[in-house]
This record gives sequence, C-alpha cells and structure tokens, in this order.
Amino acid sequence: MLAQLVDVSLWESVVRALIPVLLAAIGGLICERAGVFQISLEGMMLAGAFAAVAAAHVTGSAIAAAVTAAIAGVLLSLVLAFGAVSRGGNAIVLGVAINILAVGLTSFLLPQLFGVRGSFQPEGGVRIPGLVIPGLADIPFLGPVIFDLSILGYMALLLVPATWLFLFRTQFGLRLRGVGERPLAAETLGVSPTAYRYAAVITSGVLAGLAGAQLALGNVGVFTEGISSGRGWIAVVAVMLGRAHPFGVLAACLLFGFTEAFGFRLQGQGYPVQITDALPFVVTLVALVLARRRFRRLLDLTASTV
Amino acid sequence: MPERLGSRFLAVVGHPVTVALVVAFGLGAVVIALTGGDPAAAFGEMLTGGFTGSGLRNTLGRMIPIVGMALAFSLAFRSGVLNLGGEGQMLMGALFGTMTAIVLPGPGPVVIVVAVLVGAAVGALWALLPALGQTMFQVPLLITSLLLNYVARATTSYLVRYPFGEPGAAFATTVAVPETNRIPDFQLLGGGISISLFFVVALVLLLAVVYRRSVFGYETAMLGYSGPFARYGGVDVKRKTLAVMGLAGAIGGLVGSHLVLGETYRYIDADMIAQTGFAWTGLMVSLLASNRPWAILVAGFFFSGLQIGGFAMERSTDVSFQLADVIQALVIVAVVSRLGLTWRRRRKLGEEIGPPQPEMEAAHVGEV
Repeated sequence: MLAQLVDVSLWESVVRALIPVLLAAIGGLICERAGVFQISLEGMMLAGAFAAVAAAHVTGSAIAAAVTAAIAGVLLSLVLAFGAVSRGGNAIVLGVAINILAVGLTSFLLPQLFGVRGSFQPEGGVRIPGLVIPGLADIPFLGPVIFDLSILGYMALLLVPATWLFLFRTQFGLRLRGVGERPLAAETLGVSPTAYRYAAVITSGVLAGLAGAQLALGNVGVFTEGISSGRGWIAVVAVMLGRAHPFGVLAACLLFGFTEAFGFRLQGQGYPVQITDALPFVVTLVALVLARRRFRRLLDLTASTV
Repeated sequence: MPERLGSRFLAVVGHPVTVALVVAFGLGAVVIALTGGDPAAAFGEMLTGGFTGSGLRNTLGRMIPIVGMALAFSLAFRSGVLNLGGEGQMLMGALFGTMTAIVLPGPGPVVIVVAVLVGAAVGALWALLPALGQTMFQVPLLITSLLLNYVARATTSYLVRYPFGEPGAAFATTVAVPETNRIPDFQLLGGGISISLFFVVALVLLLAVVYRRSVFGYETAMLGYSGPFARYGGVDVKRKTLAVMGLAGAIGGLVGSHLVLGETYRYIDADMIAQTGFAWTGLMVSLLASNRPWAILVAGFFFSGLQIGGFAMERSTDVSFQLADVIQALVIVAVVSRLGLTWRRRRKLGEEIGPPQPEMEAAHVGEV
C-alpha cells in the first residue's frame, strides 16, 4: 500500500485531477472574500468546457478555445453578478438556477450546433498545450509531478501564491476583503462594494471557464454532457474547507485530487467504477464533518440555524 | 373603476413572473434564431404539442414527478432548509421501492402500498443524513445534500449493476416488476395516465392545508422567515429541520417509486440517472410558485407542458427539445433577479433606503 502511495505516477495524476478544481476554487475564494456566495462554479465550468470544445472545433486554436471558455464563464457569472449584486436576489438560488441553465444550454447546443448527443469530439485534436520546463522536469519525483503540466496547470498553481499576495499584500486585496467583511465601512471609505463584487464574480467566471477548458481539452479532447460531474461543487467545498485562504484551498484541492487519483487506481485494480465515482464525494463529506464548526457564516447565510 | 382595472392590469403585466416569462421566451427566441431556427414555428409546435391532444395527456403524466418533486422541495425551502438533494432521495427511494415490489410476495395492492412506503422511508433516511449533519455537526446541509446526490448515483448504479441487477442483462437494470405489483393507469384522452396523478393532486391539497392551517405549517414557515425569531418563539429548530427534511425525502422516495412502479416497471440505471432532471425541474417549479402548493400545480402543469411540447417541437422543427430546459432556467433566473416592473410608489421608497445586501437573509428565502 505504502509503495503505491509514493509512486510518482499516482502523484502526477493527483496534480492533473486537482487543476480544474483548483482553478474554479480560486475564483470561488475570491468571491467569498468579496462577500458573494458563489455556487455556480459547476455550471460555469460546464459552459467553459463546451465553449472550449466548440471553439477548438471551429478555429482549431487552443488559445481561441481558452478565451472562448473564459468568455462563456464570464457571461454566466454576469447573471449572478447582476441578479445578486445589482438586484439583491438570493445568491444561492441564483447559483442553482445558473447551474441548471448551463446544463440546459450545453445539452441544447450540442445537438443544435453539432448534430450529436452525449459527447462531441472536435476536429483537429486541439489540446491545451503542455510545457515541460527544461532542467526542472528532470528533478526526481517533483519534475514529472509539477514541471510537466499544461499551460493552465501552471497558471492554477501560480495563482495560489499570486492570490495570496493580491489578497494580503495589495491595496486592492485589502479593499476586496473589506468589502466582504464590512461592506458599509468600505463604502464609507469610498470603496464601492458593487464594483469589487462584480470584479470578483467576473474573475470567478474566467477561472471556472478556464477550468472547463482544462477539463475538456487538457487530457482527453472531448466534451461529454455533464463533464464537470460535480467538480464545481467540490471547488465550493474546497473554499469552505480552506476557509477561503489560498493555501488552505490548495490543501483541500490536494485532498480531492488525491482521492480522485486514488479512486482511478483502485478502478485499475478491478474495483467497480462506482467506487471511483463516489470516493471524492464521500471523502469530501467526511472532511466537512471533521472540519465542523467552521461554517457558521454559511449556516447563518442559509438561515437554518441550529 | 377603470383606474383600478388599469392598475390591476399593470400589476399583472409588471408581475415578476410575467416579466420572467417574457424575458425567457424572448431570449429563447434569440437562441433559436441564432442557431438557424424559426422561433415562431418552434414555439407554436411547443405549445400545441404540449397542451393539446395526446400531448396534453403526456403533460398530465409528467406532472406526477415534477409536481411531486416541487412539493418535496417546497416543504424544505419554505422552512429555510435548502435541500438540494432531491435527486439522491428520489433515486434511493426508487431503487428500494422497486426491489420491494419485486421480491415481496402477496396481493398486488398490498405489495404496491408497502413498496412505495419503503421507497418513502429510504428517501427520508437519505434526506436525514444531511439534516443530521447540520443539526449535530453544524455542516450546512445545502452542500452536503447536494454532494450526496453523487454518492446516491454511484450507490444505486452499483446496486443495480451487481446485487440487484438482472443476471445476464446487457445494461444495468433490475428484472421487471411483476404485473400485479404495478401502479395501474386510468384512461384519459385516448391513453393511460398513472393513477399516481390523483395522489399528487391530493398531496397538493394536503400540503395547502398543512401550510396554512396547521401548527406545523406555521412553525416551519416562521423558521423560513427567520430562524432566530422562530427559536425565540419556542420552535424547536433542530427537530423541525429534521422533520421537513425527512418529509421532503419521503416525497422524493414516493416520486422515485412511482417512476418505476407506475411508468417503466424496471429500474434501469441510465434511465433513472436521466430522470434525475425531475428533481431540478421540481425545484424550479417550486421557486416559480413561491412554494405555494396550488401555484405549484399550475406552474408544474406549465413546465411539464413545455417539456412535452419540446419533444413535439424537435420532431417537426429540428430545434432540439432541451430548449425547454433553457427556457425554464431563464424563467427562474429572471424571477430570482426580481425583474418585476413596479409602478407603485412604495417600492421606490423602499429602494431608496439602500440596496439589499447580496448575502441572503432569512426573510428572502421563502419569497425568493
């Protein structure tokens, strides 16, 4: 068992599995810091995956695919921003509605645009390009695990310290946190909560859209209905478990990446696929119970007090 | 008098639901046009296909799961309990209800009743897991109930494939439910509709009375408006949370059992996973109806008709049926964004006090 755990190829798949979740979760944590409860990551990720594949099919360009995915995420995020920030609607209900909308739109557009149902493989075999960093990739263990990723993979990992720097070492980060924690105080000091919240929600749209692009065009190069399969929700949980702190969120994503990779390994050894499917969610639920009493704010938010 | 009629008219036109419908169908038309279709023809087919002839019968049949899941959702949501686990509660109840109907010996009607009760009990137990997580461990059930959907999918898939599966079947399915143990149909509009429809309508009636006339209905509504207020007023918040979740899960289990015992007569894994969409349609119906049972019946009829009409539209206009899902989701987005037009002064004064915070407050839960 232990020999399996330190196996390099397992850790390679851990990092691959965590990247889409991490991208989405960073967007979620920025929203959380700005005081917007963001649960439409799942839908934005799904829309991003579809948009990436559609754009890859039409243009044959990975850059166009990534940009289109980000735009799709932003368009959906604007629904949340407008409804929750401008109109004062219920962010939770809006998030749920956006997720349903994304499922409906992608499964509508799939037959409508490409004449297929279920899944679609774009022509040209476009992938998000990988980058092997010369020299560093030769380091034993670490090399193949974190220096042989897709462009979006590096972006996700670099965003962790970058987000930390932004939140805790810049004026804009301070204001963003102020908007989240004391919106009235921030407004009194001339900081517009609306502007910061829009920016945060749009950022999460970009990142969740890119997460979808990585999901669809990272390894497999195909869109299947429901391809996000709960990863956006796992990102929501990662924000909760990591207490909206970049490194905490990274740690939570590592846990999920590990679970998913480990599940695939079990599957490879003949265990039923359902164990792979359920494992990340079961581990997530257990982690939530173990980390209890951290979720007061969310509990207050969902109104069901205990 | 004309003035009053005029303001009435404006109130209907400006009502958030009216505005939402206009916005949703308008955007739907844009989507159809952009993807090379004819919006007028598509909507025409949708409405005639969903609300006339055999389409109307199918719409009534589809109301059973949609209104059922909407009632389940309303029960929790009006109490401020955000149960997103309808999918899982439905699947777990469906599988165990089906297995009961398959293995239990005895006269048909008795077996059916026992089977749907087992389905309801299993749905309730599945719903109690996240409820207990919240009351015992303070883990928000909003998120846990949703995560459990994925666990339920994997669990039912596994059970249908291995221990409960039909040996030698090409796909994951149980054996067929014996004919005596199936929920019967009644004849209407030249075809059969499951008699479950009567039970769903009865449930609407029952919940309408419970919500408006019972202590339970009052206390849970207070919980929805404000948790602290309800607790201050002596409501046992934990017990009420468990109760509404259990009941919501039980209704989910009933709906799931109906889907097999009254419709397909086999629990087919892929088929049931596809039908989890009913849980989300139900959620949207309940939101559109502000959790009021009679309004749920109307909204459920409308959304069911859109879906059935969507199939007819696809057959004759090449616009795929999922457009119905897009329009429904757009309706909900518009309703939740409060896109109502108001001509009354009162609202304007209210808005000047300050923009509402995006964080949800308890008071907004029930009203949406």
